[in-house]
Parts: sequence; C-alpha cells; structure tokens
Amino acid sequence: MVAEARHVTRTFPMAAGAVTALSDVSMTIEPGDYVAITGPSGCGKSTLLHLIGCVDTPTSGSILFEGRDVAALTESARSRIRLTRIGFVFQRFFLLPMLKASENIELPQSEAGVGVADRRTRTRELLDYVGLGDRGDHLPSQLSGGEMQRVAIARALANRPVLLVADEPTGELDETTGEHVAALFDRVHADGTAILLVTHNPTLAARATRRLSMKSGHLVA
Amino acid sequence: MTPLQLAWRTTTRYRVRAMLAIAGVTVIGALLFDMLLLSHGLLLSFADLLNSEGFEVRVLAREGFARVPIPDSQTIADAIARLPSVADVAQITLTLAEGRADQKPPRRLTLVGRALSTTRDAATGCEVEINHVLGRALDIGPGSTFRLTPMPSADAATAMPPVDCHVTAFADFGFNASSDATALVSMAEYRRLVAQEHVDAEVILVALKAGSDAAAVTREIGTLRPDVHAYSNEEVVAQFNRNGFAYFRQISGVLSALTTAFAFLLIATLLTVSINQRLGEIAALRALGIARRRIAAMLLWESALLVGAGAVLALPVGGVLAVGLDRILRQMPSLPERLHFFVFEPRALIVHIAVFVVTAAAAAVYPIWLASTLPIASTLRREVI
Repeated sequence: MVAEARHVTRTFPMAAGAVTALSDVSMTIEPGDYVAITGPSGCGKSTLLHLIGCVDTPTSGSILFEGRDVAALTESARSRIRLTRIGFVFQRFFLLPMLKASENIELPQSEAGVGVADRRTRTRELLDYVGLGDRGDHLPSQLSGGEMQRVAIARALANRPVLLVADEPTGELDETTGEHVAALFDRVHADGTAILLVTHNPTLAARATRRLSMKSGHLVA
Repeated sequence: MTPLQLAWRTTTRYRVRAMLAIAGVTVIGALLFDMLLLSHGLLLSFADLLNSEGFEVRVLAREGFARVPIPDSQTIADAIARLPSVADVAQITLTLAEGRADQKPPRRLTLVGRALSTTRDAATGCEVEINHVLGRALDIGPGSTFRLTPMPSADAATAMPPVDCHVTAFADFGFNASSDATALVSMAEYRRLVAQEHVDAEVILVALKAGSDAAAVTREIGTLRPDVHAYSNEEVVAQFNRNGFAYFRQISGVLSALTTAFAFLLIATLLTVSINQRLGEIAALRALGIARRRIAAMLLWESALLVGAGAVLALPVGGVLAVGLDRILRQMPSLPERLHFFVFEPRALIVHIAVFVVTAAAAAVYPIWLASTLPIASTLRREVI
C-alpha cells in the first residue's frame, strides 16, 4: 500500500469558529492506482490531497505513507518523503521563474543528492518524456501554460516517486492543452506510478481508474 | 544547484529590486564608512601631525596645553639636552607681529623664536624663514626683504620698532592653519626683536634618539624639574582623545548606529516583501521536499549578495564623500592645515565589513523565519484562491 487515510478529520481554527474541512475520511492508494477526486469547491478535496501528500497532518485519525504514520514523523522526515517518494503537480505550476526548464527539473534531484551526470541524464529523459526535449534551456516565461505544466510533471517525476499528487493540474489550461496534460498522466500511470489527482475537469477524472467524489468534507462515492 | 546559485539567479532576475537595494545599501554604507573614518580620523591625523614634527616629548609650564612661559626654560632645556636618550631640544616662544612689504597691505603674522640645543643660538640680523602664506601675502620669498614689527600683544600701541628682515627660506609649520602667516627666527634674534634680554620659552620640544622610550624621558624630566609638565606624543593624543575629540567619536557612533539600523531595515523590508511575493513559490518548493535549511541558505545568500554588493560599492563612494566632507570641515578657522577629519585606517575597513556581515545576517532572520515556518498546505490553497 502506498498511502492510507484512516478516519481522518481536519479542522482549521478560524476567528469566527473552527471549520471542519474533512470529516472521518478513509481511503487507500495502492501501487499503480490512478485515483481522481472530484467535488464542488470547498468540499475538502485539496485538504485530503495535502494530507496524503504529507504537507499537512490530520486533526484526528491518521495518514500512513508506505506504512509510516505521517503525523509521528518530524518535518524533516516528511520533507524527505515528499522529496523522494512523492511528486507534486500544482494548478499554478510553481516553476522557479529564474531557472531554465531543465534546471527546474534538476532541482529536486540535486536536493536528493543525485550526482551531476545522473541528473543531466535523468533531466534529458524527462524532457523527452514530456515532449519538451528541445525546450530545456527555456525559462518558464518563454513557455506556454501547457508546456510549463509538462515541465512541472517532469519535475514531479524527477526522483522516481511512488505517488504523483496533482491539485487541479488542468485548472489553468485550455481544453486542448488540458487534454495533452491528461494524456501525459495516462502515460505516467501506465509506467507504474500511482496517481492521486483532484480536479473539476470531468474529462480528466474520467481517465482515472478509480473516481471518488466528495461533498462537505465526506467521501460520498 | 547550490543556495548561492539560486540566490544569484533570484537577484539577477529581480534586477530592479536588487538595484534599488544595492543603491540604498551603497548610500547607507558610504555614510557608515565615513562615520568610521571620522570616528578616529581626527585623532590619527593629530597623532600623525605631532609625530611629523620630529619631537617626541613636549614640556610645558602648566598642566594642559596653555601657553605660559616656563620659568628659567634655558636651565631645564640644558638639563634635558644632557639626558642620554635625548637627541635635540627646541625652545619655542611666539608672539604677534606685523609684516609689510612694498605695495602690499600689512599682514598680521605669528613670530616664532626657536633655539635648538644642537645649534648655536645667535642674533643673525633678522634672518627669517617664512611660510608660504606670508610669502604670498607680501609677495616675498627667499632673498626678499620685508619690514617686521613685533607686537607683544594685539594692541598696536605695544608694537616694537619695525626691523628689516631678510627671508632665507620657506618653511612649513605643521600646526599652521591654512590662513596663518608665520615667520621663524632664532631665539637670540627674537629677544633682540622684542627688546628683551631674557625670554623664557613657552614650550620645550624634545627629540629622542632612535629606540628611546618617550614615557621614560617624561618621567626623567619630571624628576629634573617637578614644577614643569612633560607629555609624550602618545599622552598628548590620549588627552585629546579624552577631551577634545570625544565629540566626534560620540557623533560618529550615533550616526553609525543609525545608518546600520537603516541598512538593516532596508534589507529586511525588501527581503520580507520579496518573500511575501514568492510565498506560493516557496510553499511549492517545500512541498517538493526542498529542505528548510536550503531555502534559509538561499535567503541568507540573497541578503549577503545585496548587502555585499552595496557594501563594496560604498567604499569608493564613501571615499569620495569623505574627501569632499574633509575639505569642507577643514575650512573651519584656526585649524591646522595638515589636520584631517577623515583618515583611512584598516580598522575602519574591518569594522565596515563586520557591521555589514552582521547586518546581512540579521536582516535575513525574519524572512528566513517566515519562509521556514509558513504552513505549506494553507499557503498553497491561498495562492490558488
């Protein structure tokens, strides 16, 4: 099992009173899974994704990642898991604007201690993999939205994660470009990486092998 | 990619921000550097001036530096000259005088009488050495003659009969202000000019043999004549440091602290604003597993690059500014022409660098804390909304 949520509740303290974003949610992600979570805005999709992606910890219940209780780990240990076992793809790409596409892909590898030669080789592979073999020297500002998202996916795959988590990966893209990105996720899944994505895009969700729907902090299907 | 490389890329990408920060630190750094030069400059210059005169010990009639004749100065000068460490002894006295030359308006001047223990003191028929100010004022130089009227007080009624004097050479007088006119004669000639058989020196200057201890000589002089006061150059400088120049140190201390605070606030504000603009980017980096220490190191380097570039540029700017300010301050009346307010010393450079290293580190503390503790999930959520 890659990740498991056990009776997870996440409450956010607010000035006007605590808001429960997730309530008693349980789910699992197995190796090779392709899970899409859909639901209206504010239903808790991103909160669940952040918990499983180890960037947040539950108020109650537990998140197990590869069998380890995430809440019991230090921030440093969680950071290491995110670096080496999880790949993140964001709606707004969040590429570092001062780095070239290839350098953005190299960054997590460098952090993980991969040697220069291996980094370069892996980066070239990934650029070819996402269809941007000739754009490695371009800055993000010189790329289109779809190209930036493909670079972001390559960056997420840089350290060969077991789980790719994506938060509205087509949210900033037009339909055609979103289709290309969706096709890329299909390929990543076909190559054996588990995927958990949150989306409003029904076409993208339809490509997942498992679709979950959320409403008011609960999984409803 | 190292944190330094990331910081460099960030700095060069946000060029306008970087240039504004560097310009601000440059201006602040130039002021700080000048304050550091000012804090000890006058003292260093004063010490240099004292030492350049070639005399290591000064003997005066009273404590402090008031000009009062030393009773029986010849006897004490002779006794000092016999000390084994002493190379030469100069007796100095001075009075007001007036100089006149053809077609030129009369010029007030300081008439100095000097007797050296190594030279026979003799009346020379008014042979004088003059400084360039007097030379220019009366249009005279070596070989010229002018009329000298000693005036034991500023009251013209006390003036002595004028005497024709022959200029033998130009001389520099270290403690002359830029507008001071000065003429030097032998002590014997001085006595003749002021029509007094006996004139006591107001100050006795003592030149020591190489390697001699000035403090030991001052003690020996105190033993010879307990009623006089002998000071080594170091003691004179120390006394001025305690009294006369303390203001400059205090002013420069306050201004240095203020300029450092400005540098700190400028960089801390710019970095904080920069972090706030890049919260999503930083949260994403942390979500990707980039360690907090790497992000902290990157921000520290950003601060160091901005502060470092500004601090380096501040040195030439501060240098030019110091020259200009020194020129203005040296126009103060009665100030020795060779005295400077801004003097470079390695210590000032070391303090300048140390202050900016600390400032860069301190200015990065809050932005680093902000970046290190930001909640990743809620920041990412906010950035999307």
